[in-house]
Amino acid sequence: MISIKLDNVSLAYRLYEKLTLTAPDRRLGGLGGKIGRSGGKQVVQALEDVSFELKAGDRLGLIGPNGAGKTTLLKVLYGIYQPSAGTVAIDGKVDALFNINIGFRPEATGRRNIVLRGLISGWTEAEIQEKMPEIIAFSELGDFIDVPFKTYSQGMAARLAFSAATALDPEILLMDEWIGAGDAAFQEKAKRRMDELAEKAGIIVLATHNESLLESVCTKRMTLKNGRVEAFTTKPAKRAGTRAKS
Amino acid sequence: MRCHMPIEMAIRDGLGGSLWPAKNNAPEQRIAILPAMIAALNGAFDDISKAMRLHRVWIALAHEDIGDQHRRTTLGPLWMLVNYLAFIGTFIFVFKTKDTDSAGYTAYASIGLVVWFYLMEMISLSVPLFSREASFIQGTRLPLFVYVMRLTVQCIIRASYSVAGCIVILLLSGLGVSAEWLLSIPGLLLIVLATPAIVTVFAFLGAFFPDAQFIVGNIMRVGTFLTPVFWAYHGQGGIQNYAYHWNPFTYFLEVVRAPIASGEFPMHAFAVTAYISLAFWAVALLLLGGYRKRVVFLI
Repeated sequence: MISIKLDNVSLAYRLYEKLTLTAPDRRLGGLGGKIGRSGGKQVVQALEDVSFELKAGDRLGLIGPNGAGKTTLLKVLYGIYQPSAGTVAIDGKVDALFNINIGFRPEATGRRNIVLRGLISGWTEAEIQEKMPEIIAFSELGDFIDVPFKTYSQGMAARLAFSAATALDPEILLMDEWIGAGDAAFQEKAKRRMDELAEKAGIIVLATHNESLLESVCTKRMTLKNGRVEAFTTKPAKRAGTRAKS
Repeated sequence: MRCHMPIEMAIRDGLGGSLWPAKNNAPEQRIAILPAMIAALNGAFDDISKAMRLHRVWIALAHEDIGDQHRRTTLGPLWMLVNYLAFIGTFIFVFKTKDTDSAGYTAYASIGLVVWFYLMEMISLSVPLFSREASFIQGTRLPLFVYVMRLTVQCIIRASYSVAGCIVILLLSGLGVSAEWLLSIPGLLLIVLATPAIVTVFAFLGAFFPDAQFIVGNIMRVGTFLTPVFWAYHGQGGIQNYAYHWNPFTYFLEVVRAPIASGEFPMHAFAVTAYISLAFWAVALLLLGGYRKRVVFLI
């Protein structure tokens, strides 16, 4: 059963300071986690006591100001950051899209990048070759697929990244803000693919500042601020195939 | 990848301990050293076995690296061969005297330089390894050992060009091919086997102590002269005595060079190189097991 369950997850990490003779300039800001001191060391509390549970078919939107902990939470879910306290239980095949350029090599062609990205995600050579035409078709890059990645625009890169990440039917898809980079037509297409994915009883977690995207894609929303959960709400179901619970 | 992971964070942290000392102070900090080391070793083997299953990734990335370094050049990777030949040509021209046995010195210097180039490149590229791979480390779940193997393969590919140049020089030097040359193979294999461990140790050093990049860079530059790469040791005293006997690089060079240059298997050098390699592997496994989850916060 595909699920995500977080219990009192906290993430704190130490900041390494450079030797400096200049006076520190510390102003109180409303952004980011809390910077504290522990035993003379500077420590950032990026997430604090985050608990929630998602079941198959849930689409969670993460919102909050810059530095609230949205991307950090996604990276905890993906397994890149190990929380300093609490438990994370994830059941399902996870894929993530954090940054368009991650895992892409600027000098390699789009086609070669699909191969590399597939290998990195643990696909076999045969799976990659089988999915290749579909990825290229979905990205609508046409002849640009054989041109070096560095010549792509942000939107083209986003198309390729999204097409590759969703090609192997991940059960859990984690996505950061950048999805807005594609043009309107591609966003609509991406939205449809996310719908399909959620309808196959997958889970989507999307971090965004874009209210309309969140409104149209997500069934649940979680507001983060300074690494803490401020609100967790469930939207009443509007369309068939999506499930929501209060 | 399907993962089911009720992760008990404090336990899995192994040697690393907690990042937030104020909260998790009391009993966990008194963890006995032995169980912590066993946990670290388990973590390291887990990372290594996952990386080995992903061998296609690091082989593909290493090839991309080599390709990128020479993209749009006419000679491509052959530049590595040209570099080597230019260097060794200069050395032989400058250092060959009437007294030195010409063929012997050519073999001595050309083999020494192959191994030295390999070690120097491997160590210098290892120190900034994790910060160079920051976007991958912060964006994918690839085991850290994948990056170590990627650099290892890249160094081996690069070295193979200078090895090819070296073989040509040896054949042209008039030294005469002999079966003893094969005795260099165990030494070469030992160096290749030690490579991932050395890369790991220097990569962690660079991640935790960024100044190391410059310290190591300077040491390696000075090392070119303090290591018997193109000067030979014949029982001289003074600095050359210390630079020969107390320099670990000497033994790495000798295991490959002695069988070809003097026709003998260097048992002592082989043993010293093996001990150094084992020590590097021990440290590398502990670092990988205990600190691999922390690297992402450092780079």
